[in-house]
Amino acid sequence: MTQTDAHDGNPGVTPSRSLSERLKDPALLLIPAFAFLGFMYLLPLTDLMQTSVEGDPWWADLQRVLSVPLYFDSLVRTMNIALTVALLCALIGYPAALLIQRTKGITQVLVAMAIILPYFIAILIRTYAWMVLLGRNGPINKFAVWIGAFDEPVGLLFNRGSVLLGMTAVLLPIMVLSIYSSLSRLDPALVRAAMANGAGPLAAFWRVLLPLTLPGVGAGFLLVFVQALGFFITPSLLGGPGDMMFAMHITQQADSITGEGFLQALAVVLLVLTLVVVAIAGRFLGFEFIWGGERKAPMPKAQQNVDRPRPARGGTKAALADRVGWPLLRGLGALNARWGEWTVRVLAICVIATLVLPIVVVMIISFSKASYLTFPPTEYSLRWYEKFFSDRNWMSAFWNSLFIAIMSAGISVTLGATAAMGIVRSSIRGKSTLMLLLVSPIIVPPVVLGLSLYSLFLKFDMVGTYWGLAAAHSIGGIPIVVVIVAAALQGVDRRLEQGAAVHGASPLTVFRKVTLPAIAPGLGAAVFFAFLHSFDELVLTLFLSSPRMKTLPLMLWGDINYQLNPVLAVVSTLEVLLVVGGIILARPVFARARAGT
Amino acid sequence: MTLKLADPVVVPGGADARCDDVLRAGIGSGITIENVTKRYGAFVAADRISLDIQPGEFVTLLGPSGSGKTTLLNLLAGFQRVDGGEIRVDGKPVQNVPVHKRGFGMVFQSYALFPNMTVAQNVGFPMRMAGINRADTDRRVAETLGMMQLSDSAAKMPSEMSGGQQQRVAIARSIVMRPKVVLMDEPLSALDRRLRESIQMEIRDLHRTIGSTFLFVTHDQSEALTMSDRIAVMDAGRIIQVDRPETIYRQPCNRFVAGFVGESNLIDAEIVRREGAALVLRTKTGHIFRSPAPEEVSGRNVTVLVRPERLILSDTPGQESIPARVKSALFLGEILRIEVTLDSGETLLVRCSDSAGQTLPAPGSMVHVSWGMSDGWVLA
Repeated sequence: MTQTDAHDGNPGVTPSRSLSERLKDPALLLIPAFAFLGFMYLLPLTDLMQTSVEGDPWWADLQRVLSVPLYFDSLVRTMNIALTVALLCALIGYPAALLIQRTKGITQVLVAMAIILPYFIAILIRTYAWMVLLGRNGPINKFAVWIGAFDEPVGLLFNRGSVLLGMTAVLLPIMVLSIYSSLSRLDPALVRAAMANGAGPLAAFWRVLLPLTLPGVGAGFLLVFVQALGFFITPSLLGGPGDMMFAMHITQQADSITGEGFLQALAVVLLVLTLVVVAIAGRFLGFEFIWGGERKAPMPKAQQNVDRPRPARGGTKAALADRVGWPLLRGLGALNARWGEWTVRVLAICVIATLVLPIVVVMIISFSKASYLTFPPTEYSLRWYEKFFSDRNWMSAFWNSLFIAIMSAGISVTLGATAAMGIVRSSIRGKSTLMLLLVSPIIVPPVVLGLSLYSLFLKFDMVGTYWGLAAAHSIGGIPIVVVIVAAALQGVDRRLEQGAAVHGASPLTVFRKVTLPAIAPGLGAAVFFAFLHSFDELVLTLFLSSPRMKTLPLMLWGDINYQLNPVLAVVSTLEVLLVVGGIILARPVFARARAGT
Repeated sequence: MTLKLADPVVVPGGADARCDDVLRAGIGSGITIENVTKRYGAFVAADRISLDIQPGEFVTLLGPSGSGKTTLLNLLAGFQRVDGGEIRVDGKPVQNVPVHKRGFGMVFQSYALFPNMTVAQNVGFPMRMAGINRADTDRRVAETLGMMQLSDSAAKMPSEMSGGQQQRVAIARSIVMRPKVVLMDEPLSALDRRLRESIQMEIRDLHRTIGSTFLFVTHDQSEALTMSDRIAVMDAGRIIQVDRPETIYRQPCNRFVAGFVGESNLIDAEIVRREGAALVLRTKTGHIFRSPAPEEVSGRNVTVLVRPERLILSDTPGQESIPARVKSALFLGEILRIEVTLDSGETLLVRCSDSAGQTLPAPGSMVHVSWGMSDGWVLA
């Protein structure tokens, strides 16, 4: 189905030409995706910015945002939280990435799954799991009372600590993946060489491993930081009144009646802040960090520019590492090497527990008989499953989500795969700029995107329609598809295609018999992730849905805010099963895809 | 090439082997490998290997991929732990010494230069790790870079250098501490032939100069023959034969060694009788000839090795010559490569050097093959 989707998508591109002709000019394949993104993404954002500067003078609204202490403090707080979360992720993500790299065989698969799987489960559900875990009747309180640490259950939720914990847990997989991909690209002989040349495990880490994986750490740090800046769901659910993040102000203002312009100015401030961070980061790391690529330096000139200043920079960095870091570490070096191994293991196991335990707890609670959340459940039953499957509201929300996700996956894959083909196969100029534009929706805070789309949806009467929501979700789905399919296409050996053509295959046959089978695993993965992206989407939907159009995340969101009952646990469990099932089904596909790249 | 050292080592006579031995003994370590075994699950990568390496010796582990040579090197370096047996360096067991405390130098196939450090920082790395002060480090690094003719590249990053230059940096890094043992894991296999040959000579000279014990791993037989004091030929996790290069080439112990080192003609024959150190043999075609043989030969039927360059072709029959038909004849420049077929169906390869007036025999023509009495070797 995937294959025909992507394939049938092609004829819609430029109807006047035959397919074979079009394959000769792949740059044209970029048109549909850019037309779509231009209308659904760039236009609304431009509108938003325009509205924000319509005051008199033009900076009036922006100035108001920054001069009201409420918002200014929130901006500082948001950066503060994002920075702390990024630091926490880096600190505990590194041992986890090391553990994935150092283990072998089935252990490696299990460790990797434990860390990566939660990444595919909706943020809403993972946040909900933390609410369960940290609640008054939750397992942590129960355990603490049982061992006598607390006299009675303590309020662990709705404070800065729970926000940081929840956000770190939610964003950690991004960091681990980023560091791991950097680690796995290293020549394993380098660490051996360091050890053979007299470096102990700590010295090998400090002098060789860490400096060489610093780009990966940096990329992970920025991805986490940028995403945390626009975070809305987790701080809303886990934070107290003193932990309002900037994105929350935007939704709050959107609900109340505010003067046109001020609301938009709020969003623009958040957007500009995000873009500035990304721009500065891109300057140093290369913008490839956004889609998880390592700077490749397409032109030799760029390569030189990257390399030249290095010795100088290395000088100051090395001096710092020598004077400050190394003496500290040398003190640790006196300890037995076993300590280091165990530190890595214990830290990594903590990380895995943080990621997996909440989900397990939620799955267990879904079988509870009690009508409030308590762990461990006193009695077990399937009553909440019955409730979910017999409740008309839940079921209609489920079907709505399913329809929208299927439509959105269709749109994303059609547009994304053709665009990826256009990027990889054309000789068009400014490819990296085009790629940056295609994947940029990943970094725009969803709250900003939702707000900007709202006026477009009003204008074209798309609020609460299937097509409207599916199209909105595709804004985020396209980047996912482009990244995956472009990587798959780059893995295709051009000589195979040339070989087929030399032996008489027409361009269409070459595509069908050689290219398509080679990228099929990538396409399959792209469909799955685009589907999940839409199925889990909440923030855009909050802005763009009507009271009559409820999706599953929307129902969950309403219930979490209104009453924490085990039906939520049932939905969460089903979602986890969906993700696990999808990944198990797709496992051979992933294995092939990984072998290909 | 000439080597420059701050404290020049006087090498009387240069190539005289005995002088070298005396000189090296003081610097290199003796290594004893005793019944060393390494398993990966059911696969035995090293099967009760024993090998004695003299202080200052240059020993090459030669074998096809999967023969266990790299495993043995890794066990020695300490990257893997032995499952059985013992490795001693200068008489002391090293099993429980961690990699970084063994004090060996090592060169890797992939160079393994730290891409975040300059050439000088790479070469100075072992000295920094050993806690040697900066002034001494800088002096020694400069000296070592000079030895490897890399003085101009000290400030470069490894990524700015060619493969050959990178490998010289890796070699410099491995010897900067003047270690007692230097391990080299197929260091030249990524280089093209001419570069490989010139670095081979450099490594050989370096070994003479610093006098460490060198253990070199390769699958390239000509490299092993050129460089080593002794070669250990390995196959399927075992050492098949350890000997000086010329002995390995001239008197291999079995078909595997004969086939792996150099090109070979293997002729089946039957023992007629023993005459001192030689055997009198009869080929399948009934021709009688004599060949040197090891002291113990089992069975009546043996295989005789005759290297292609030892065979002589002539148009006329001579004593102990065998008639043959030319199958193919190729002109390779300094050498002619001719294949002939015996009446028994066996094909022999003949290599003779080019000389003026020599014409290539036409395929199909009859020739007579013969070899000197001491040119064959009976495989035990």
